[in-house]
Amino acid sequence: MTEPILSTQDIVVRFGVLQAVSHASIDVVEGRVTGLIGPNGAGKTTCFNVITGLQEPTSGKVFFNGRDITNKNPYKRARMGIARTFQKLEVFGSLSARENILVAAEQRKTWDRSGFDPNAVCNEMLEKVGLSDVSEFMVGTLPTGTARLVELARALALNPRVLLLDEPSSGLNEEETEEMASLLRTFVDEGLAVLLVEHDMSFVMGTCEYIHVLDFGTIIATGTPAEIQANPVVQSAYLGTETVEEAS
Amino acid sequence: MRGKLNGRLVAAIVVALILAFIVNKNWGSASFFDSKNISTFLVVGIALGGIYAITAGGLVVTYATTGIFNFAHAAIGCFLAFVYWQLSHQYHVPLLLAMAITLLVVAPAIGILLDRVIMRRLRDASLVVQLMVTVGLMLTIMGLTLTIWSPKTSRTVPHFFESSKGVQIGSVTATWHRIITVVVALLVAVALRWLLYRTRLGISMRAVVDSRSLAGLVGAKPSVISGASWSLGCMTAGLAGILIAPETGLVVENLALIIIVAAAAAAIAQLKSIPMAFVGGLIIGLATAFSAVFLQFGKDYSYASEAIPCVILFIALLFLPQARLSTGKIRLTKRTERLTKPWEALLGAFAIVAIVGAWANGWIPWFTGTTFGQRSAIWLGRGAGFLVFGLVMISLIPLIGWAGQVSFANFAIAGIGALLFVHFGGGDGNPMGIVWVMLVCAPLGLLIALPALRLKGLYLALATMAFAEFTDKVIVRHPRLLDPSNSGVLYKPLKILGFSISSEATDRKAFVMFLVITFALLFLMLELLRRTRWARRWIAMSDSPAASATIGVNLTTSKMAVFMLSGAMAGFAGCMLGLQNGALRVDSFPMFAGLPIVLLLAVQGVRYPIAAFMGVLGLASFPAISELFGNPSWLTQLALIGPGIAAVAMAYRPEGAVFYTGRDVAGWLPWRQDARDEKKLLQAKEREQNIGKDEINDLGLTRPFTEDKVAQLDRVLAITDLVDEKKMVPGGAQ
Repeated sequence: MTEPILSTQDIVVRFGVLQAVSHASIDVVEGRVTGLIGPNGAGKTTCFNVITGLQEPTSGKVFFNGRDITNKNPYKRARMGIARTFQKLEVFGSLSARENILVAAEQRKTWDRSGFDPNAVCNEMLEKVGLSDVSEFMVGTLPTGTARLVELARALALNPRVLLLDEPSSGLNEEETEEMASLLRTFVDEGLAVLLVEHDMSFVMGTCEYIHVLDFGTIIATGTPAEIQANPVVQSAYLGTETVEEAS
Repeated sequence: MRGKLNGRLVAAIVVALILAFIVNKNWGSASFFDSKNISTFLVVGIALGGIYAITAGGLVVTYATTGIFNFAHAAIGCFLAFVYWQLSHQYHVPLLLAMAITLLVVAPAIGILLDRVIMRRLRDASLVVQLMVTVGLMLTIMGLTLTIWSPKTSRTVPHFFESSKGVQIGSVTATWHRIITVVVALLVAVALRWLLYRTRLGISMRAVVDSRSLAGLVGAKPSVISGASWSLGCMTAGLAGILIAPETGLVVENLALIIIVAAAAAAIAQLKSIPMAFVGGLIIGLATAFSAVFLQFGKDYSYASEAIPCVILFIALLFLPQARLSTGKIRLTKRTERLTKPWEALLGAFAIVAIVGAWANGWIPWFTGTTFGQRSAIWLGRGAGFLVFGLVMISLIPLIGWAGQVSFANFAIAGIGALLFVHFGGGDGNPMGIVWVMLVCAPLGLLIALPALRLKGLYLALATMAFAEFTDKVIVRHPRLLDPSNSGVLYKPLKILGFSISSEATDRKAFVMFLVITFALLFLMLELLRRTRWARRWIAMSDSPAASATIGVNLTTSKMAVFMLSGAMAGFAGCMLGLQNGALRVDSFPMFAGLPIVLLLAVQGVRYPIAAFMGVLGLASFPAISELFGNPSWLTQLALIGPGIAAVAMAYRPEGAVFYTGRDVAGWLPWRQDARDEKKLLQAKEREQNIGKDEINDLGLTRPFTEDKVAQLDRVLAITDLVDEKKMVPGGAQ
């Protein structure tokens, strides 16, 4: 097995008495989509926040490219090559779609010395996610699904090594979800590492090569999609007969 | 963890050392070991602290339950103290009855009115709008109070049982008033505690703080609760106002300034802990009494004791834990606008110069008459003054409008800049002085923001307001900066590009022209800056700090940059302020004077540079309106009430007048086909989604579920089609 580019070791996050994440270890490998699934409230987004530095873990470590980044600022992690999208939209609502992506591309200028042109990168990303037609609209006026694509393009404009996607398909219809999946494929084939939180199981099973299952903050299973689907622990703890949690 | 603790410890030691130094240096003649001094200090301090505790406790309760920090808290208390005075001393209602009417009838009525008309609309508003509305409310209430009860008559509220001697404690007598104050404070503390922890209403109030929607689901009525908490806030404010009025006198400014005290105590309480708010109030009361009994500030710092709450607020901010970058709280406004093109900005700049130039040269017929709005030396002088305020406004656009950092300190920075300019060349007519002042004011702007940079935006607003007060009471009163005995003109006329600029009547037209040209240039500069990566980064940072950080934005340095830019611009405005005034007095820069400037800008729309010019016109309109009516006595406070009411109206029109008019006017311009299209699109969208909140609530109850209503509901809730069952079960498709 290849060395993971990003890994968390024994992450614990406690909010008061509530243990949101307990001893979660996640490995993300380059050139592949790693899934992180689990019922609502399992601690998936909290894991993302720990990896990107928005949430300080109570204990545990985060490694990126062999370096301990647990105490690094969020912006420093971004500069090292970690990008993300958010479960609830975090677009820049008073900027146009183009400016949203341009801001990220220009920001990349501060650490990436490859001499790229931010405007060109911005246009390329708009093209890739299919937003060229609406690029001059303020993001606040765009439908949720489109705004989600803006967020994705913004993250990709950083030319990251690891991309964390928090429920990218919510707000997208089936067709758009498929487009998103094939778009992801092209980036992963170029060597990008993706960590994916997702509720749409056909999406997860179709795109992920490796899956971590989180339940009540604990990793209860890891493996390939086939292994996960066959895993009795996952079946009982997560899939069960109850599907109500999923509907939201 | 350990590193942070040590950092705090070091900070604590440094602060303690500095305080010890100040105390030691300004120690008066009183001996600390004299039991009389000690007991005076304790009796006065605890009584004063009790009053502060009451008002701070009420402020924290409202903030915690409604999420709105009420800058008008102390002003409401002030108004209620006047009501009490009117009842008891004019209508001769017995004291207790007057107090009961004020606190149990008038105060809750004001609270419920505020809740219904204003505060509920602010729940989901941005911080900028929340702050502007409550600051506007503060000015409105102050203005109303000053209008009803003219400040020319002096009024006193006697202490309770003034004729009785009081109680001997140690070697001092505690007056009954003080004893009653302490008892009342304790009762209020117990009552608040009981209310919040033992009553159904209180428990729902605390639940609402945690989650409004969840509390609503389990049967708490958010509307009743917010009404109750605003009433409670007004009652505590009024009680504090009545209790403190005998000490400070019934003076509007003094009573409204207690907001700084309440804010400092609230900061100690981290805006949520009611017991800590009481502790905070007590600390401030004790510190004030300590300084009154033991300290003797030198004549250079004669007003320093009045700045104690500001200093305590700053110290509290140093020890607050860093704010987490929260997610999921962004607001997506449906604003349709596009960037101003450079040629449009150039046109705007020319229009600004043309309009003001035509007025100043007497080319607008209506304004050349002999009475109203005449182009007299007086109005030219006023015009220069409004343009100077406009320069302060324009300095706020990148800071508040783009970076979302609400600062009330820019007028104070301008004041300091005006004084510095005297020493840096303005006194000799050297234009280079302006550059030096700007270079000093840039880091000054940063210095103010420093303690609040890592905290949430509300604390920054509090810190800047405290700094404005500190400037007024300590900085500009230092004789090295401004010689109080010199009442003459402090500046020599400035010769720039053939203009001679000074406060002289003969130079006024040239001054107005110079000001409007620099104003237009700054406007152009900002419009061009808006198109660069700097402005984009600031706006991104303001829209979503968390997302900005995750694309690699260093929030701290970005904020620092915008504070420096704004500080430098305020410094320039300061030089002009000094020149325009000519002579300066130590009381030229009160904290309250800076607020209408910020409000009028916000009312116009703080993210658009042109709003600063509209703000100038707004400023000019108040004396003009007053003159139009023949300067009646009921309009004397228009300069306070006007901006105040306009800002309160932002609860209904949060984006600012420039936005709303711009949206409508843009469609008229022949080259703005895009605006017409977008308007049509928006109207169609609104028609489609035309289902009100009330309608949703009543659907199925008093309104029938019709097919089209259900379809509308689906659209509003973004339910596109039936839930796909297969998607829900992993591997369900097998």
